[in-house]
Amino acid sequence: MNKTTRRFASVAVGEKLPPLTIPLTAGLIIGGAIVSRDFTPVHHDKKAAQAVGLPDVFMNILTSNGLMGRYVTDWAGPECTLKAIDVKLGAPNLPGFIMTISGEVKSRDEAAGTVDIAVSGDNNVWGTHMSGSVRVALPKEA
Amino acid sequence: MVAKIADKAAIVGIGATEFSKDSGRSELSLAAEAVKKALDDCGLKPSDVDGMVTFTIDQNEEVDVARAIGCEDLKFYSRIPYGGGAATGTLLQAAMAVATGVAEVVVCYRALNGRSGQRYSDGVSGNLITGSAIHYGWYMPFGLLTPASWVAMFTQRYMHQTGCTQDALFEVAHSTRQYALNNPAAFFYQRPFDRAEYDTAKKICAPLKLFDCCQESDGGCAVVVTTPQRAKDLRQPGVLINGVANCLAKDQEEMTSFYRPEIARIPEMDIAAKEAYAQCGLRPDDIDAAVIYDAFSPIVLWQLESWGFCNYGEAEAFVKAGNLRPGGRLPTNTHGGQLSEAYIHGVNGIMEAVRLVRGTSVNQPKKTVNHALVTSGVGVPTGGAILGRMA
Amino acid sequence: MTPEEITAFEAKVQAYVGGEVSAPRTGKDDVNKAMIRHWAEVMGDENPVYTDEAFAATSAKHGIIAPPTMLLTWAMEGYSMAQTPAPDAKLDVQRELHAIFDAHGFTGVLGTNTRTEFYRDLRPGDQITSHQTIDSISERKNTARGVGYFVETVNTFTDQTGAKVGRQVFRVLKFQPNVATAEAKAATSDDAMPAAPARIQAPRGHDNAWWWEAIDAGKLLIQRCKQCGTLRHPPRPMCGVCNSTEWDSIESSLEGEVFSFTELSYPKFPGYPYPLVCGLIQLSEGTRLVANIVGCEADKVYIGMKVKGKVERVDDKTVLPNFYPA
Repeated sequence: MNKTTRRFASVAVGEKLPPLTIPLTAGLIIGGAIVSRDFTPVHHDKKAAQAVGLPDVFMNILTSNGLMGRYVTDWAGPECTLKAIDVKLGAPNLPGFIMTISGEVKSRDEAAGTVDIAVSGDNNVWGTHMSGSVRVALPKEA
Repeated sequence: MVAKIADKAAIVGIGATEFSKDSGRSELSLAAEAVKKALDDCGLKPSDVDGMVTFTIDQNEEVDVARAIGCEDLKFYSRIPYGGGAATGTLLQAAMAVATGVAEVVVCYRALNGRSGQRYSDGVSGNLITGSAIHYGWYMPFGLLTPASWVAMFTQRYMHQTGCTQDALFEVAHSTRQYALNNPAAFFYQRPFDRAEYDTAKKICAPLKLFDCCQESDGGCAVVVTTPQRAKDLRQPGVLINGVANCLAKDQEEMTSFYRPEIARIPEMDIAAKEAYAQCGLRPDDIDAAVIYDAFSPIVLWQLESWGFCNYGEAEAFVKAGNLRPGGRLPTNTHGGQLSEAYIHGVNGIMEAVRLVRGTSVNQPKKTVNHALVTSGVGVPTGGAILGRMA
Repeated sequence: MTPEEITAFEAKVQAYVGGEVSAPRTGKDDVNKAMIRHWAEVMGDENPVYTDEAFAATSAKHGIIAPPTMLLTWAMEGYSMAQTPAPDAKLDVQRELHAIFDAHGFTGVLGTNTRTEFYRDLRPGDQITSHQTIDSISERKNTARGVGYFVETVNTFTDQTGAKVGRQVFRVLKFQPNVATAEAKAATSDDAMPAAPARIQAPRGHDNAWWWEAIDAGKLLIQRCKQCGTLRHPPRPMCGVCNSTEWDSIESSLEGEVFSFTELSYPKFPGYPYPLVCGLIQLSEGTRLVANIVGCEADKVYIGMKVKGKVERVDDKTVLPNFYPA
């Protein structure tokens, strides 16, 4: 990732973040559930997922949170500070799908030194998996 | 040759269901309720109805509506194609039927679960809602699938040609929101709105943003048309159809007339306006208020030009001068329009134009409204009607 | 369920609103480098302040921090949540509530929304405690997954000093799995994974199949009237100028300019690559066609821009002309 941190002054409303494409494997979906200590069976047991009407295990919301956070901090750089993240889930993410995350700077708060970024993660089969916004503080001076 | 149709028919009754995002009932139930309410409004009975007109895309068969409300014998029924372009086309059919004696009491209706059922914004697909699959085949593979996307293509070009800015789109949207504040039937009743909310809303198809697009809705609307003679004996003051035209211009396509020498205007509406004015001898200056079809904000601008309220390319200045507002030259979409009341394919707009002439709009202008204009959907063959007071 | 049963059920679950889910729960593990590293590996998160001691020490963070989105993880119950509790086990309030939903057929659970605020960076050694209350239960909703209720809980997180370090609103849908959906039917079969869709194909008929077949073969053709030479697109069976039904075609040079365009942002349709720009292309031959403009940022496209087309495969089923900045 980018090891230099973006400065608040260098970010403009309307700036688009580079898209990130993530192939979704069973490993990512189950691994994401486990590292977030979410042992709800639908995220690691295919039979349990099928019992609720989906063909395979599906990504838990904490992994979606983690990926959305990573997407913004990858762009902002290591010295940024994540202040808030709102995630709304849509279509499930299943193994074999490909998710593309995109984002755009929606507003800047001069006093707080934060920017709000609208983020969308869309899978190639069912469409929008997650949408939301991330608030991140950026250093003011170089 | 000018059609001799002026003042041969009058709208005597209007009726609507609740507008919602999930009606929880059938479209036929909405149609029946709207038609019955329109008849009740003027004091006619289902057995008085002998004609019906609707849109080709309406799912409610005439036979079903007639049985549902208990009509007796019908002598006339017809349908107009092309979605919202049909709105005032139904009035043209009704007026011709009444003027020629083919029928005496004609009901025009439109009812849809446009939000909880099939949504137009879901786009065309292999499972087409209207028109021919071959036609949309020139657009579907490229992702140009929704009404917003087709209108955006014209809008981008119009802005380029005329210098029109997003400010004009905002003013159209904002004026409807201000009217809707007072209209209990409107989605945006008592919901204030400002530029910041407009600017930060979701992008749909550049330059259109969320609040440039209408409120997809469930609901039904109906109007009753009869002869001016019969209108005199009914419960409500009759509203004359002074002029009404529906037109299809050269090189028209359904929503995608992209191949004309210039696309930043709507010639079918220019022709309809000319025809409607000629029928009744009225001029733009005679129109006191308007309901201008607003599935999307920019299409209001083009229609203001077509109907001669301003010159080509001057619509932005016209709207920014406050002319659509309560005290302006042309109070427009006083019910909140389809952007802010509900999207019943323009028939809720016909109802509001009738109210403007009756003097009963929730946002009734202070001046006397002798004549009101109401128009149909744009991008397809379309038209409009000039309504006026009975002597 | 009868309307009376629904009312009784709703009264029963609504009684839980406002209640504490359990006594404050302190994480089984302190914030620690191993769990941070496991998380970062799976998420593909290479942020060096999570895992690179040397980098983190000299950065403005002054040492390793945890990915902020791990907040809830530090206080999760863990593996026991996957187990069916013993019949006589004392359930916490949330599991008790979920058991009532389950007993009434609302067996599905799906996280739908989270809203999280972070008050400070967490570091190895921090000990996180969560204080959870049930904030609201929605009215009955029809959702794509089935009929259900949205249950919102609020978690406030504190550290070892009692200071608040974050807050998370967590919304789940408790629902009756909708077995009527096509997905659910497909779910009974092991090889029923949905495939990535291609773009929506243009149906091919008498008047247009030849054009699409030429595209498949890598050529953009323009229909030409044999009698008067007028070019036309989209193809039509008769010349509108001279009424001849005789026609042939010419191959386009694929040179043109943008007559109008729009960037398609919402809704996003499966099978299409976004960001996606549709252009109305004025070809040098004089006809226009709609096609995608690719190879440049959407906000760099303008009316009058010179473009050059290339007929190319865009997915497994589709070949299209794409236009690049010339």
